[in-house]
Amino acid sequence: MESLKGTLRWAYALSALAAASVLATFWMIFFYAPTEREMGIVQRIYYVHVPSAWVAFLAFGIVALCSVGYLWLRDDKLDAVAVAAAELGTVFTTIVLLTGPLWGRIAWGTWWVWEPRLTLTLLLWFIYVGYFMLRGATETPERGKRFAAVLGIVGAVDIPLIHVSVNWFRSQHPQPVVLRPEGPAAAPEIVQTLLMGFLAFTLLFFALLLFRYGLERLRARAEALRVRDELDRPLSTSQGVLR
Amino acid sequence: MGRFLGQALAVARKDLVLELRSRERLVVSATFAVLVAVVFSFSLDPTLRARSFAGAMIWVTVIFAGILGLGRSFAMEREQEALSGLLLAPVDRGALFLGKFAANLAILLAVELVVFPVYALFFGLDFGGALGGLALIVLLASTGFMLLGTLFAAVAAHTRLGETVLPVLLLPLLIPVVIFAVSGTQRLLVGRPLEEVGGNLRMLLAFDLIYLFICPVVFGSVVEE
Repeated sequence: MESLKGTLRWAYALSALAAASVLATFWMIFFYAPTEREMGIVQRIYYVHVPSAWVAFLAFGIVALCSVGYLWLRDDKLDAVAVAAAELGTVFTTIVLLTGPLWGRIAWGTWWVWEPRLTLTLLLWFIYVGYFMLRGATETPERGKRFAAVLGIVGAVDIPLIHVSVNWFRSQHPQPVVLRPEGPAAAPEIVQTLLMGFLAFTLLFFALLLFRYGLERLRARAEALRVRDELDRPLSTSQGVLR
Repeated sequence: MGRFLGQALAVARKDLVLELRSRERLVVSATFAVLVAVVFSFSLDPTLRARSFAGAMIWVTVIFAGILGLGRSFAMEREQEALSGLLLAPVDRGALFLGKFAANLAILLAVELVVFPVYALFFGLDFGGALGGLALIVLLASTGFMLLGTLFAAVAAHTRLGETVLPVLLLPLLIPVVIFAVSGTQRLLVGRPLEEVGGNLRMLLAFDLIYLFICPVVFGSVVEE
């Protein structure tokens, strides 16, 4: 039986780093980064919003890769990574979808617009929802893993197509001011705070991923023990339990 | 290659013969589609010019009616354990997928042959000048719709929720097809020249090719056991 000690050790180490960098990011957001001239104080939500979006899409990439690996090798570890990543992806997509409108209400004067990046993120969230609905709705866990992997792969192929399609609508979302080919257009403090945010959220994501992975493996182990226990028990007692 | 296509054709013919005898999917989907058109006509302000948004209504109707029909695509195989028989037969899984897809596409095209004239009649639309371009858009969009639809119909049929879960899985993935089908149809409806929908046709074709590559490959993992 695989030992989860190493996984946990890494999870704790990454958590410490993540906690430190998240605190540093929050300090930079409120005390270091200057207030943006046109949008004002509400612009500071951007340092949470953009790194969350990055992590949400990174998670989906991991789901897709692990799904391909799972269908190929049928290794439950890969499925456990995929589930962990999908769950975190859902959480971070939700953060993006909550912080975006908070900012949009002030900057655009409306909570929601049908704009390419918003639409893409919303659809990503729905694909994640379908992923968990599928896993919960199958008769055997093995089938759930296979079906979820199929959705993970087809979803990953479809996401770029959705991106291309929704770009057909005129874009109202602010264009990148930091990550753009001709170099950052924003003040250096803004760039540094955003980069710190990327680092912090990525570390946080991987720390949570390891914890969730360990949990999923433990859950599978407990389930296996329970099934073995049921099989060992004499028929009469298990019927007694059922009655 | 000839053997592969022969197998796919045999599967498609089996489904279409069953459908021709029972006509249940076609009748249910087409009736539902007409009823959606009726509901639209009562829920819209009669002073609006339907021509300027009929493309959206038509495709919403087609997608809903198509999903309704797809739900039955694997139901019969599941109810009578016929899928096990199909899987035991020496048929390639890719050919099985393409056969089911071809039958689903044929049924959807039949439903669309009802939907478009009904909308033309109810909302006073004129497709006359753009029939060729419209046929191409319908064919390409329906192909993409049914490639994804057949795959997830197979997935949904093997879940406890059955066909109820199908729209939830399928609709987010269908957005690219919907966007280009609606905008193309809409442009032709308001009398734009065919050249203006060239981009739509190319995008729909590209989506179809991508789905045609990926769906049969992963279908094998759906129906195994």
